[in-house]
Amino acid sequence: MTPGKRGYKRDVIIEVTTNLMFPLTLLFGLYVMFGTGGTGGGFQGGTILASAYILYITVFGHEKGRVKMPESVNALFKSLGLFLYNGAGWICVLFSLATAQWLNMPAFWPVTDYVGVAGSRSFLVGYMISVGIGLTVMAAFVSQYFDLAWKEDDEMEGGEE
Amino acid sequence: MKPLTYAGLFTAILLTAVSLYAVEDIPAFGDENSAANKYIKLFAIDAEAGLAEKLNAGTLPEEIKNNIYDFGFIKGPTCEGCQDENYPALEEGNYKIEYIEKGTWLGGRFYTEGGWDVLIHEGEIFYNEPQQYYFIAEKDGNLSVYRYNWPVRVTERTEEETGIANAVTSGLADYRGYDTMGEETVILTGAIGVILLLRRRGRL
Repeated sequence: MTPGKRGYKRDVIIEVTTNLMFPLTLLFGLYVMFGTGGTGGGFQGGTILASAYILYITVFGHEKGRVKMPESVNALFKSLGLFLYNGAGWICVLFSLATAQWLNMPAFWPVTDYVGVAGSRSFLVGYMISVGIGLTVMAAFVSQYFDLAWKEDDEMEGGEE
Repeated sequence: MKPLTYAGLFTAILLTAVSLYAVEDIPAFGDENSAANKYIKLFAIDAEAGLAEKLNAGTLPEEIKNNIYDFGFIKGPTCEGCQDENYPALEEGNYKIEYIEKGTWLGGRFYTEGGWDVLIHEGEIFYNEPQQYYFIAEKDGNLSVYRYNWPVRVTERTEEETGIANAVTSGLADYRGYDTMGEETVILTGAIGVILLLRRRGRL
């Protein structure tokens, strides 16, 4: 999109600040999303990740934002998160020969002998379930924002014509 | 059929299977090991003469009370006429004691061992109905004292059971993992609904 079709003037301060903040926000989102000892969790981390992309799309326009977050990657993340979550439970169920109740008995886990059953549960929750939640939330929010932005853009173009 | 159709069919089958698995594993009504009914053993003391009689008469003996207080549970309001704790103190009128036979169904729980149920009395300020508070069972000449309540169970056992220091995360993603998975499915469904409603054809 050319600057002229933007509808507003470019602002160097906003663009430079966004370029600086974008990776830092992503990093902070990952920090919130991973692990079980810190603050937040999957939902919150996913929302922070989505907010980084939404900031970028707001400032640079959705066509440049599409380069950062293509539709294929968005669709992949959206379902991959749910598959990660679902898969964490199914791994437990399958490897324990259906004696597990979801995550209650990850006795199969190779690290169970070293970190114990509780440690394996916390590993599954922190690094599979939280990440799954975060990916789905991020992709869903970004996708919804793209859809709404496009619709508004189309209407504005139609009005100009 | 297109590969996308296969993927959708596979997802539907997977979600149906996990739903069936979840429904099949829901504990029976009154299962004493289900989260809502689980109680925690606090301590055991010698069943000296008179303790069982006092319990049968409806009063909590001083020995048991002091042990509970030593355990760190509250003695009562810290100021006159105020209630600064959610759980009432073990004073006359706040509780009542009932002996439950082995094998009884009561309060949504199946009693696999007989014992005295210490209930919060219905006249207590925060509780309109009798609530299970402590449970005392006699076994091998010992009186074992248990305390009910799921929040207590969570705060005391969550790190030991799940390895997660954060009780909120353990509740959200471990104890209530099915619930969170449903919420995540709702988010995915919402996003797909927005795509179908708002996105124009050929603009992927």
